[in-house]
Amino acid sequence: MAKKYAMIHDSNLCIGCQACNVACRSENQLPESVYRLQVWIKPEEYPNGTLGYEYHRQSCVHCENTPCVNVCPTHASFKNEDGIVLVDVDLCVGCLYCVAACPYQARYVDPVTKAPNKCTFCYESRLSRGEEPACVTVCPTEALVFGDLNDPQSKINTVLSERVTYQQKERLGTNPKMFIVPNHKGGIKS
Amino acid sequence: MTQMLSRRGFLKLSSTAAAVAGFSSIPGTLGAMDEVKKQYKGNTKFTPSICEMCTSSCTIEARVEDGKGMFIRGNPKDKSRGGKVCARGSAGFNQLYDPQRLVKPIMRVGERGEGKWKEVSWDEAYAFIAKKLDEIKQKYGAHTVAFTARSGWTKTWFHNLAQAYGSHNLFGHEATCPLAYGMAAKDVYNHGSIGRDFAKAKYIINMGHNVFEGIVISYARAYMDALSHGAKLVTLEPRLSTMAAKSTEWHAIKPGHDLAFVLAFIHTLIHENLYDKKFVEKYCEGFEELKASVEPYTPEKMAVECDIPADTIKRLAREFSKAAPKAVFDYGHRVTFTPQELELRRAMMMVNALVGAVEKEGGYYLGKSADFYNQFIGEGDPKAPKLKKPKIPAYPKVSVPRIDRIGEKDSEFFLASKGAGIVTLIPHAALTELPGVGYKIHGWFIARNNPVMTQSNMENVIKALQAMDLVVVHDIQVSDTAWFADVVLPDTTYLERDEEFTASGSKNPSYGVGRQKVVEPIGDARPGWRVAKELGEKMGLSAYFPYKDIEDYRLQQVGDNIDLLAKLKANGSESFGVPLLLQDKKSVANFVKKFPSAVVHVNEEGTIDFPHKIKLFSPKLEEVSKKGALSYEPYKYKENDELYFINGKSAVRTNGHNGNNLWLNNLLDDAAVWIHPKTAGRLGIKNGDNIEVYNKYSSQKGKALVTKGVREDTVFAYFGFGHVSKELKRAYGKGVNSNALYSPHVSQNCGMNLHIAGVKVKKA
Repeated sequence: MAKKYAMIHDSNLCIGCQACNVACRSENQLPESVYRLQVWIKPEEYPNGTLGYEYHRQSCVHCENTPCVNVCPTHASFKNEDGIVLVDVDLCVGCLYCVAACPYQARYVDPVTKAPNKCTFCYESRLSRGEEPACVTVCPTEALVFGDLNDPQSKINTVLSERVTYQQKERLGTNPKMFIVPNHKGGIKS
Repeated sequence: MTQMLSRRGFLKLSSTAAAVAGFSSIPGTLGAMDEVKKQYKGNTKFTPSICEMCTSSCTIEARVEDGKGMFIRGNPKDKSRGGKVCARGSAGFNQLYDPQRLVKPIMRVGERGEGKWKEVSWDEAYAFIAKKLDEIKQKYGAHTVAFTARSGWTKTWFHNLAQAYGSHNLFGHEATCPLAYGMAAKDVYNHGSIGRDFAKAKYIINMGHNVFEGIVISYARAYMDALSHGAKLVTLEPRLSTMAAKSTEWHAIKPGHDLAFVLAFIHTLIHENLYDKKFVEKYCEGFEELKASVEPYTPEKMAVECDIPADTIKRLAREFSKAAPKAVFDYGHRVTFTPQELELRRAMMMVNALVGAVEKEGGYYLGKSADFYNQFIGEGDPKAPKLKKPKIPAYPKVSVPRIDRIGEKDSEFFLASKGAGIVTLIPHAALTELPGVGYKIHGWFIARNNPVMTQSNMENVIKALQAMDLVVVHDIQVSDTAWFADVVLPDTTYLERDEEFTASGSKNPSYGVGRQKVVEPIGDARPGWRVAKELGEKMGLSAYFPYKDIEDYRLQQVGDNIDLLAKLKANGSESFGVPLLLQDKKSVANFVKKFPSAVVHVNEEGTIDFPHKIKLFSPKLEEVSKKGALSYEPYKYKENDELYFINGKSAVRTNGHNGNNLWLNNLLDDAAVWIHPKTAGRLGIKNGDNIEVYNKYSSQKGKALVTKGVREDTVFAYFGFGHVSKELKRAYGKGVNSNALYSPHVSQNCGMNLHIAGVKVKKA
């Protein structure tokens, strides 16, 4: 059976340390000027006047309904059988429609190939070897959970059943396979 | 906020970094070599090793991928670290082909700090150093050369060289970092290391031990574990760190006034009878002295000092004692080093003893080295192996005291080991003759340490370096200290080197592989064991280096225990026996099951007594400095019209060492100065403004980050910025250099610097 790969980012467990960011850069040998994954840290003053930080994983969320694939005139952007959104650089004509269409600003233009690229859940480099994505492998506090939604025994399904999650920009109907556990830390009196 | 990254900002940073990297390269660096072809020759299977991006020494493993790159992760066999690694750890492989990396020895041809160098051969470098060392020996005595080696491995090699040469002035980096709590452990618990069972604790008080930014993987995981299980975490810190933000409660304590809080906390424990009387009576001594000494420090009085309301202090003490023994008063480390650093760490450690949360699950535990563990095992049972050292002749005797007088009867620093020493005294001892010492320091041999960046008051350190007859640095790059050296020797990165095996212990004894080479060394870089040996041989000291190479050294370490050698190489680490908590019945029963001979040590309660009494009063500190009891001495850190300045760790940079790492520098290349909106408003400063932070020692330029996450009377900046070596091209001159603003004060009894200064801030 085909897989349906997905990820959870638990922002309670995330400490914004960028271990994921650097491991991604290392595994995927990214040019310096671009990134596939960052954690954005945002100071927050909550309505009751208390303070905290919000942690946002900025990367491709691997939509079920993919605006980037829909606009691609050459089928360079495609969703593979395991639900992972990929780019076939050889088919790309560089129109950058996908970059504009992505509601999550997840794509960059590779300075070498001049084609757009993005997080692939380490599909080519690691999943094929039976390993988890680099970011998941290194995350010091296990804020990232990765797995197959089609496998009822998978850790990701267990965690999804235990923790409350949401998807970013749900209203767009893109149905991302990136699930966020909202932060409930913080709100600490200053 | 901690590292506010935005897509636009990131791109901007990267392009400037790339532009800077294009500058011309000095002799000896990789960038100056004729076309260097990147090739990663090494194991494509994971090799277990130890990280060296900071000093936490986390277990890692790394493999070469497609000959094009490398992937580093934590060693999954190490359960406490779970196979995880931080950003710095992952970025380690960047060091290998960094064009700014030093790969040949260089010697200074201009003035110190002028940046004029020539490339020399190893032989030339050794000959020069040997000659200079001999000259100093003839003129002033070998003891006038100080040897600083950052820690562990570097000490083994270079402290041996130092003592063979005739100097007993040996130092590590400790006095700029963890020394005080190590001393406190020795004094209070008569023990070298105290573990904290964070993961099992139900209540943790943290006074700035920000392990979510100054990441130690095992601690970060254990803290998160505790939080996930619903533990209460109370953080007292002047700014909203990541640790504070993850806490149940954050209290913005006044910088430098932590001791006032802890004393009032102890006062409450005693005054309200919240301490564990039975535990204290049986296992502690000096309680009456402690009680008398904290009598004046009521929560009401101390609240004024530390800015934490008396009611809060009392409430926290009550809650903590109720949660005991599953309670940890975290004793370290960083944030605000104060003049009473030793008293502070002792007081913190006494709290856990008072509530009886020692050698129990979820509390403190004594590190179980082989010696400590073996004392409870009798005849007939196997004992934890001990690593051996190669046999060498006795070192030449030195008749004068060390500059820190450690080893003399009346030394105020008696709690520091000779290998740690008081490194903060070196600049002082180079510039003046210290009392009771009788000589000045004339040479400084420094291995993988960067005192210009890490010792308080940079100007003082540089002045001392300028006054020396010889400065030698062994490092992977022209660090800020190397910038002022006569000779810089290129070290291998940790991914290219093997190191000696290590022995330590948490709840049971453990052993580590040290390091294992993942790739062959690049250029002509040489590891510490080789440099010390080769230089020693040049100086006619071969007898002190009775090993052919590191492999031979390791063989001598394990003796006939080849099994241990094989396991360490394959797995990276090995442990012995079962975890032991002396005061936990279940753990003791398990231990006796494993080692039946231990039964004679079990008391009527089914636990094992502490081999030494826990000291709530220190007779020896009383004798040398009249500091046996705890006391609070107010200190004037700043003038009334000044702000407190403090620093802290960032998750993507380590103190003085890896700020120039390409990937890490791209993530955070400038340490903004955190300033409260009210303070900023008063000074007419807006977010992102260029500002100047200044005092009598220095004036530093930086950018303002206006945030409520810092006290109104305090400004904060990350540590390890504002590099002064022009050879660290990416990091040079960027951000506020904290140490330039600090005073050169060396604290009584512990020798630590201060990490608080008074400053003024204005728009630049």
